[in-house]
Amino acid sequence: MSNTKARLPQPVAAERIPLKARNVSFSWESTPLHWLPGDPFTTHTINVLHLLLPAGERWFVHVYKQVLPHIRDERLREDVVGFIGQEAMHSQAHDEVLPHLREQGLDPTPYTAQVDWLFEKLLGDRTLPPGRPRHWWLMERVAMIAAIEHYTAFLGDWVLNAEELDRRGADPTMLDLLRWHGAEEVEHRAVAFDLFMHVDGSYRRRVRTWATAFTALVFLWQRGARFFMENDPTLANGKASFRDFHRSGRAGTLPTTGDMIRSIPRYLSRAYHPSQEGSTEQAVAYLASSPAATAAEARTHTNGAA
Amino acid sequence: MPLPHLRTARTALLVTGAALLTRRALRRRIGASPLWPLPALEEPVSGQPRSRALTLRVARHERVADGVVQLRLEGRPLAALPAWAPGAHLDLVLPSGLVRQYSLCGDPEDTSSYTVATRLIGPDEGGRGGSREVHEELREGAEVEVRGPRNRFPLVDDAASYVFVAGGIGITPILAMVRAVDAAGADWRLLYCGRSRASMPFLEELEKLGGGEGGRVSVVAEDVSGRPDVGAFLTGAGTGAGAGTEAGTAVYVCGPEGLMDAVAGALPEGCSPHLERFAPAASAGGESVFEVELRRSGRTVTVGADTTVLAAVRAELPHVPYSCEQGFCGTCQHRVLEGEIDHRDELLTDGERDDSMLICVSRARGTRLVLDL
Repeated sequence: MSNTKARLPQPVAAERIPLKARNVSFSWESTPLHWLPGDPFTTHTINVLHLLLPAGERWFVHVYKQVLPHIRDERLREDVVGFIGQEAMHSQAHDEVLPHLREQGLDPTPYTAQVDWLFEKLLGDRTLPPGRPRHWWLMERVAMIAAIEHYTAFLGDWVLNAEELDRRGADPTMLDLLRWHGAEEVEHRAVAFDLFMHVDGSYRRRVRTWATAFTALVFLWQRGARFFMENDPTLANGKASFRDFHRSGRAGTLPTTGDMIRSIPRYLSRAYHPSQEGSTEQAVAYLASSPAATAAEARTHTNGAA
Repeated sequence: MPLPHLRTARTALLVTGAALLTRRALRRRIGASPLWPLPALEEPVSGQPRSRALTLRVARHERVADGVVQLRLEGRPLAALPAWAPGAHLDLVLPSGLVRQYSLCGDPEDTSSYTVATRLIGPDEGGRGGSREVHEELREGAEVEVRGPRNRFPLVDDAASYVFVAGGIGITPILAMVRAVDAAGADWRLLYCGRSRASMPFLEELEKLGGGEGGRVSVVAEDVSGRPDVGAFLTGAGTGAGAGTEAGTAVYVCGPEGLMDAVAGALPEGCSPHLERFAPAASAGGESVFEVELRRSGRTVTVGADTTVLAAVRAELPHVPYSCEQGFCGTCQHRVLEGEIDHRDELLTDGERDDSMLICVSRARGTRLVLDL
């Protein structure tokens, strides 16, 4: 193992910020099925988030509750505590979109029930026997979360800057959900990685779990987009292809293929630290103007003042 | 002996055929099971949020008594609102961000709208601005976000008879109950107290339901008759209908703290009333002190008036999970083995409330709780 400075993660101290969960609430009755007008493919590709995140972020919380006793650094513990609450709210907020999809004739249950199995069973606590294998499994899951958080921060940064969605008249409530979530992902982007480095930090594990998480995300995403396109009641012969994805990326309504590929070696670099990417300042600025986040702020204040 | 290029062509044909068959088989499987080969969880968890936010429109804002307005909140045309039963309430997210609970007092069969009524409570009476917002800002045409409905005051449907006691605006959940019980043909009585008849909403309808003077409804307006004699009402004296309150009678009380204490004190042994408090006692000051036993760790902690269960537990178990400390993120939900809980969160469902609590905000009703920690 090398200890030379260049090979260690280089955090950017100014990007750290205290974290707190926001009590947001979204109502969906006026959001159309194709909330990006005239673009069902992009709508549904982004909608895959609603399929994955309720179960996925619930799983983050579940895993992190078990890691708390392994944290020996008070500042990191505070970050993890804030992170847990934010993730719990993300899970709840995306979960509330699902009944709305169902009411519009697009029942997500066949897909979400399988995602539930993936996170509750396959990635659950009992996959390996107690003792050392189970500790190994906990560390493996902590590392997987760090890898997934690299992508949530990437997507958060992307959506905060995706002006094309505004230009094309995306539904304001959906855009606010995505950007509130994206901004919090940017705010807390270093926590999962810091936690992984604190409790384990092995480079081999980082690479291995990145490969698992990346493969799983590609698998889940392409199946999810296909599922939505094929079951959308308004589309006669809906299909999702990689070519559509590439085209939307060039149009600016999805991340570009090039940006996605370039993010891979960055995570695998030994000097990587999430604070090197994205802007906390931009995230905080969005949260200060987000309808959902400002309403949550008002709620906190009025309820706090007896 | 086939020529080499023929053999190549045959192999290519076979491979292509196999690939096409595989693709068709895969498509069929993925069509039926989107994440094939993963199985599905038998009881799916996702897609069943605890509550959903709805944006409703104030379709009617009318004064139904002195200082009391009734709002009719409508959803989108043709979309049915979630069903509710008597005793249920709605969380209103007011324009300022305040969240307030109001009992539903309309007709449960009406799925196009919800009806709530609120009394204006001035700052001198301990009002904190919620009712003022409802009265002044939720005008006809305004939009308001709601959550729920939920029911923490459910009506049992198998009681031998029913006794209702309402104080002032506490009539709102009772009104829906009285209508339901009367429609079912059950035996019921109501004591309805208020400051003056002019300040008591729904009097006319209730008196009609009760069959007029000497019927099932006793109205006590303080400015004429003074304080109600709860004891006399409960023993059946002074009313024509029904006998006293005995076992098998379900007693429902909604009103100020004093009225609820009077009812609880006047009831015969073994008969405990169903109570609905106006607001969580959180801000009333003077929290009670209680003990929390952590069963699995074999420890007991004391929760002081100025602290929370979470803080007391953390002193003993520093790794206990929590996050928002305000009762909305759900991280600190723990199982309660014994003791009555004073729920103060905005999150848990009624089912979850039966045997768990959010320890960051909720407290004990009595002097002791036992947690599975």
